[in-house]
Amino acid sequence: MRLNKPIIAVSTVALLALAACGGGDGDTGGPPGATNTANEEAGNAGSGQDPTRTEGPAPEIEGAAEGGTVKVISVNGLNSMDPSEAYYTNTGSILTNLVTRQLTQYVYVDGEMVLIPDLATDLGKPNDDFTEWEFTIRDGVKWEDGSDVTAEDVAYGIKRSFDRASFPEGAAYSNDYFVNGDTYEGPYKSGEDYAGVVVDGMTLTLKMATPFPDMPFWGAFPAIGPIPKGEDDPAEYRNHPWSTGPYKFADYKPEQSLTLVRNEFWDPATDPGRHAYPDSYEMSFDTPTAQIDQLMLQDSEPATLTYDNVSAPNYPQMSGENADRLVVGSDPCTFMWYPDYRKITDIKVRQALAYAYPYLDAIAASGNIDGVTRSVGTNIQPPGIPGREEFNPLPEHEKGGTDAAKAKALLEEAGEVGYEINWLYPTDDPLLVDTQKVVKAALEEAGFTAAPVATTLADFSTLRADPDTDINVRSGGWCSDWPSGGSWFPPVFETTALEKEGLGSNYAVFSEKKVDDQIDTILASPIEDQPTLWNELDQSLQEEFFPVFVTAYGGVAMQHGSGIMGMEVDNTYGMPTWKDIWVQQ
Amino acid sequence: MTVADLEVLGPGDSEEAPPTDETGKKITGRSPTRIALDRLRKDKVAVVCAITVLILILLGVLAPLINSLLNIKADAPPSTPATQYLVLGYPKPETGPPYGPFNWEHPLGLAPNVAYDNLARLLIGIRTSFAVALIATVLTTLVGVTIGLIAGFARGAVDKVISFVIDLFLAFPFLLGALALAPIITNRFATNQALLGKAQFFSLIGVLVVFGWMGLARLIRGQVLSLREREFVQAARVIGVPTRRILFKELLPNMVAPIVVSISLSLPGFVAAEAGLAFLGIGLTNTPSLGQTILRAQGYFNQYPLYLWAPVVTVMVLVIALNLLGDSIRDAFDPSTRR
Repeated sequence: MRLNKPIIAVSTVALLALAACGGGDGDTGGPPGATNTANEEAGNAGSGQDPTRTEGPAPEIEGAAEGGTVKVISVNGLNSMDPSEAYYTNTGSILTNLVTRQLTQYVYVDGEMVLIPDLATDLGKPNDDFTEWEFTIRDGVKWEDGSDVTAEDVAYGIKRSFDRASFPEGAAYSNDYFVNGDTYEGPYKSGEDYAGVVVDGMTLTLKMATPFPDMPFWGAFPAIGPIPKGEDDPAEYRNHPWSTGPYKFADYKPEQSLTLVRNEFWDPATDPGRHAYPDSYEMSFDTPTAQIDQLMLQDSEPATLTYDNVSAPNYPQMSGENADRLVVGSDPCTFMWYPDYRKITDIKVRQALAYAYPYLDAIAASGNIDGVTRSVGTNIQPPGIPGREEFNPLPEHEKGGTDAAKAKALLEEAGEVGYEINWLYPTDDPLLVDTQKVVKAALEEAGFTAAPVATTLADFSTLRADPDTDINVRSGGWCSDWPSGGSWFPPVFETTALEKEGLGSNYAVFSEKKVDDQIDTILASPIEDQPTLWNELDQSLQEEFFPVFVTAYGGVAMQHGSGIMGMEVDNTYGMPTWKDIWVQQ
Repeated sequence: MTVADLEVLGPGDSEEAPPTDETGKKITGRSPTRIALDRLRKDKVAVVCAITVLILILLGVLAPLINSLLNIKADAPPSTPATQYLVLGYPKPETGPPYGPFNWEHPLGLAPNVAYDNLARLLIGIRTSFAVALIATVLTTLVGVTIGLIAGFARGAVDKVISFVIDLFLAFPFLLGALALAPIITNRFATNQALLGKAQFFSLIGVLVVFGWMGLARLIRGQVLSLREREFVQAARVIGVPTRRILFKELLPNMVAPIVVSISLSLPGFVAAEAGLAFLGIGLTNTPSLGQTILRAQGYFNQYPLYLWAPVVTVMVLVIALNLLGDSIRDAFDPSTRR
């Protein structure tokens, strides 16, 4: 999933430190002690599915009142709001929670995001090997013009999700998993005749080329929802996607503002997840970060919220006096260092790197706050993925600790003292230059020769994605699209056809037949066993091969005014829980 | 005899040195530079500015020495890990501001996030600023004077071509050039950090020089055009003095004043330009510089004002002092402003 930061926009996966997240305290006379923001507890990215919650309306929130207008401010404009293309955290989250409905949806239950049915009456019925999924579309769902949403509309929407030419930024899971996904190019180019989506009355049958046990999660993406045929010109539809949810576009100026008003044809009785308490949303973009922070600190407009992270200088003040107006939680990202498996072949060198890496100093230098916008860990799967249990692949290594002596000992053991490490860093972001300095100093102290390779922010992603770039470590990360190991190990560790496809997201260029086989076995296993199996793979993979090491998990720290209630962190997106927000009158 | 000498002998300098009978001989014995220096010495603003600039130059030149004497580091935390000095990204109270009292170990406190010493960084920043500004000024003056002399003295096609080139460079947006060059340099020297630092330093000076010589060249050309027709030059040509000698012995000494003025005014310009480019992230990235510190500190204006104000005030003082000094030098050298 793409983060809504401009630096990420070129790449599917999260890069590295984003310029400004984190904190500072001012007039309290001293910084408060490390706040107990407990990323571990907050981060329970969609631990589960609840197929039983099928009937609307969503249970009332105690004390919540209808009415009011929520103001939303952010520094970044929205990318394409066409459901088939919305693949950034902000566009995807705003669409799926407020505007459009799809097969399934996430709701916030006691700190966890739970997948429940949305347009479909259940979470889908798979066949034995997950190559065929059957969804039944609910009756009584209407478009914003009052006409009925049919299974045909949903089928048309799904077919549209194959079109990589019209929607280059969209997620490509349909192409990856569906029958003929690599050749079918959507209704505009290949016509509507497609064997992978079969409509029978209100029932949809989706046919896969390879087992796809995570289909219900893909069903929560805006791309897997209805699209009104005939009104869907790809160039225009992004400016006014038709609403099936509680709010519709009233006024949208791309890069500037978006106003959402109630869609009177949305029937709460058909929707088990959405609350829709506020009467409208007024979102304005392109607000400078410093201005957002000042507005939020002063709380001059109580019904305002932002989904941007509070900037580092203002974090202590926000988390001190205004802790009740700051929501912190995790986002589904793991940041890692990926030693090139072709070049750094000795596992001892890779382990020495993990001992030598200055985890906490690097987090601080990149302008992040330990435990809030970044937290250290060892599992590749971030906190909150079902089945995740903490383990430590390097028993003598303290989580987040730096042990230069141990690293040196390992290097000596391997006979590789002075091993040269090359990694990329952009020279035009001072925070990233600082991070590079910190890492360089730590590696040199541990007996490595650190020779970072300079580049620019503009070239960074391209160079890193090129398998032939002359570096032997890639720094980067991966944000899962849904809370399941199936969204982690296949993209990050499965052998890729280097010549044909490049690295993909396998930045370590990791390739082990054994792991490939294990991934295939797990994908074909019963769905209830998979979480445990993924966690076991996480551990055995690291203990046996140690291909990468985790530098940090991502986190968010969002501010809201005193009039906003019910705002928590939707950790599948790292965005607010839009469905539960209400305004205190 | 040069024009300046003529002026010195003229009646215009009555205020400068009262023409009493006793001192009458002394007037004839003073060179224009000497007169200007005397006038500068009496200008209080000039003296204060000169002392300020001198102190700053000393601080810059001695920066590494001062840092090692005070045991402060510009590019590393006092000791690793840096996080032992930080709470939520801010320096802990015991290391000084913003939460703690003044602390001799870190007179200006530590920087957030990385725990670099602010004073050490400031001193190295001053050093960088001066190095860049001085080298750039010397080079622009050389280039500007040479081209101006040639353009003014050579008539016809050469003058036209040079004037066109000057206009061309004036039309080219300076910032765009700097922005375009920075990534090229970065990619060219990507793998060698030491070389990259040097390359950035010299490319920065290169950009400043390439886009900074035109003003002086035009000024000199204009001066040469007007002096060329004067009698002493005509006379020199008539008696067959070689062109080079005319340029350097007859014309150049008459242009000391505009050159000195241009130098003294372009120094602060380059200091400000260096800070501005560093602030935009396209100047030096490996060496501490004032603009870079300002860039990092801009978010802290409210919570950690000292972090931001120290480099801002330094740049301000430096630029104002150099500017006022430049103004005074111009006044001192300019016969028409004699007070």
